[in-house]
Amino acid sequence: MASTTTSPPAGVQVSHPVRRAKRAPALRRMRLRRALPGYLMLLPFAALFAGFLVWPLLNSLYFAFTNYNGVKPPTLVGFDNFQRLWFEDERFRTALVNSFAYVAATVTLTTVLALALAVAFHGTSWRDRIMRTLFFLPAVTSTIAVALIWRWIFTVEDFGLANTVIGWVGVEPVQWLATPSLTIPILVVMAVWGGCGYGMVIFVAGLNAIPEEHYESARLDGANAWQQFWYITLPQLKPVTTYVVITSLISAFQVFEAVYIVFRGVSSVGGVQDSGLMLVPYLYDMGFTKFQLGYASAIAWSLFIVIFVVSMIQLRVTRALREL
Amino acid sequence: MRPNLWPTLGRIPLYLFGLTMLVPFYWMLTAAFKPVPELTKNPPSFVPHDPTLDAFYDPTYTPEQRGEQVVAGLFQRFSDVPGGFGRFMFNSLLVATTITVLSLLLASLAAYALTKMDLPGKRPIFVVIVASMMVPWQVSLVPNYLIVRNLGWLDSYQGYIVPALAKAFVVFFLVQYMRSIPDDLVHAARVDGASEWRIWWRVVMPLMRPALAAMAIFVVLAEWNNFLWPLIIVQSDSMANLPVALSRLNASNAYNPQHFAVIMAASLLTSLPTVVVFLVFQKHFTRGIALSGIKG
Repeated sequence: MASTTTSPPAGVQVSHPVRRAKRAPALRRMRLRRALPGYLMLLPFAALFAGFLVWPLLNSLYFAFTNYNGVKPPTLVGFDNFQRLWFEDERFRTALVNSFAYVAATVTLTTVLALALAVAFHGTSWRDRIMRTLFFLPAVTSTIAVALIWRWIFTVEDFGLANTVIGWVGVEPVQWLATPSLTIPILVVMAVWGGCGYGMVIFVAGLNAIPEEHYESARLDGANAWQQFWYITLPQLKPVTTYVVITSLISAFQVFEAVYIVFRGVSSVGGVQDSGLMLVPYLYDMGFTKFQLGYASAIAWSLFIVIFVVSMIQLRVTRALREL
Repeated sequence: MRPNLWPTLGRIPLYLFGLTMLVPFYWMLTAAFKPVPELTKNPPSFVPHDPTLDAFYDPTYTPEQRGEQVVAGLFQRFSDVPGGFGRFMFNSLLVATTITVLSLLLASLAAYALTKMDLPGKRPIFVVIVASMMVPWQVSLVPNYLIVRNLGWLDSYQGYIVPALAKAFVVFFLVQYMRSIPDDLVHAARVDGASEWRIWWRVVMPLMRPALAAMAIFVVLAEWNNFLWPLIIVQSDSMANLPVALSRLNASNAYNPQHFAVIMAASLLTSLPTVVVFLVFQKHFTRGIALSGIKG
């Protein structure tokens, strides 16, 4: 904003650059005066945005290179936090491995299921609408309430719903929440149950945007239903699919509530043997139970890097596939 | 017509799958209305034999009975909090509605200035707002906690509300939508001598109703279900919102299955309002997702 008085800001649309350069100061003043209410309108948002987002982000970046416990002033330690995090910290490695396993399974299953549901229930009949409502319900339910329900379903007691159901087929009761190898699968079930409705809604919008003529001409050429799906629906849905994959990827990497509610033990947020430890729970653990704020900030920026890199790879792969 | 990939017979598994989506909800519902002995029966009953409201309020409960298959109802707990469980519902409602109203006002003002006015420097501001959406919000968690602590806002409504008011995504969404409103309308109002504030409120805002409705639902839901931030800033029992209260209820009772009727009752009361809001405003809702999804 200050740049307007000295030189024209880089991004502003300039329709007549030559004339603009010669503009009289009086004209420029008039433009500024006309813009004054605009700045006033922008101000409340901009002030809060700067104070509670931009400034914290800059701070967080600084903290990531310091040793800081929130009481004594931070001391700069260079890349030590990242060095420790990426090359020495066993728990961070566990969190990364868990996150990647969880994200890969969740995103794949959610996307495939969401697409199948959208193809099945994209119509306007009351049956389709009821089904869409059903599948979307988990997305609007409190994640904490949902996590508690799952905790009740997967209780270790024999009368838990999960143990009762496997009992019907003759399987002995399982210590669901106390078995490390079951932690990630349980979290994936929770995430797919909670997330497929959201993907479905986006796919439905994508499906309804495909021009009807494509299908008509395909039918004239004698394409059957599967061929129409394979050669028209799927290619037309590519941008929507990318969007669904990337948004579910981002939210899967940020999982916290499910781990915290269902698996947190007395001493650790990550469940038995850290089997459910992921990036945000680890960030919470380091930042707000151990108060290593510098280290926690390094975890936070690592989360950003992971999400950014994975999304970029995903975009590249999609683009490469589109060119095939 | 679209090709019919799933013939009627092939749809049956999908309908069954749709029903299994409901199972967790059903399991919560039944547990919330089961008396304690039935709750821990093996095998479990799938329809409560003897439905009761004891999990919410048990008129026969006295503290002396504790431990013998009798537990305090939800509204009989939290005796050190004025209002008990109702206080958490009030906190959640107050915080969610305040944030929704204020953040939409701020965002629509900003969006108006950024789309309908000739502001020198508005392009870089918009670029920063959009770029900030790429960074996961948890990155600002530690510094925001310190800021709120230094302001003395831990454990207060300001601590809940003020940091949550500037929502980049809402501005981004409203800007996208506002671009579809013809500039001529705004110009005409300007020629008629209307002030920018008046044009914003009288001309543009009424046309923005669908977008505002979609965003309002999004923000209300997100704030109602917000957990990590309140978990960090709330210290006393009386300032908890519903998710934090649920988590505390769980932490103190989770190893005793007899308390799960109460936990499920609390979960029910927490999820019911958002489910009702969704069912009532479903159309706005899916349209909002579709709009943001396709354009974003």
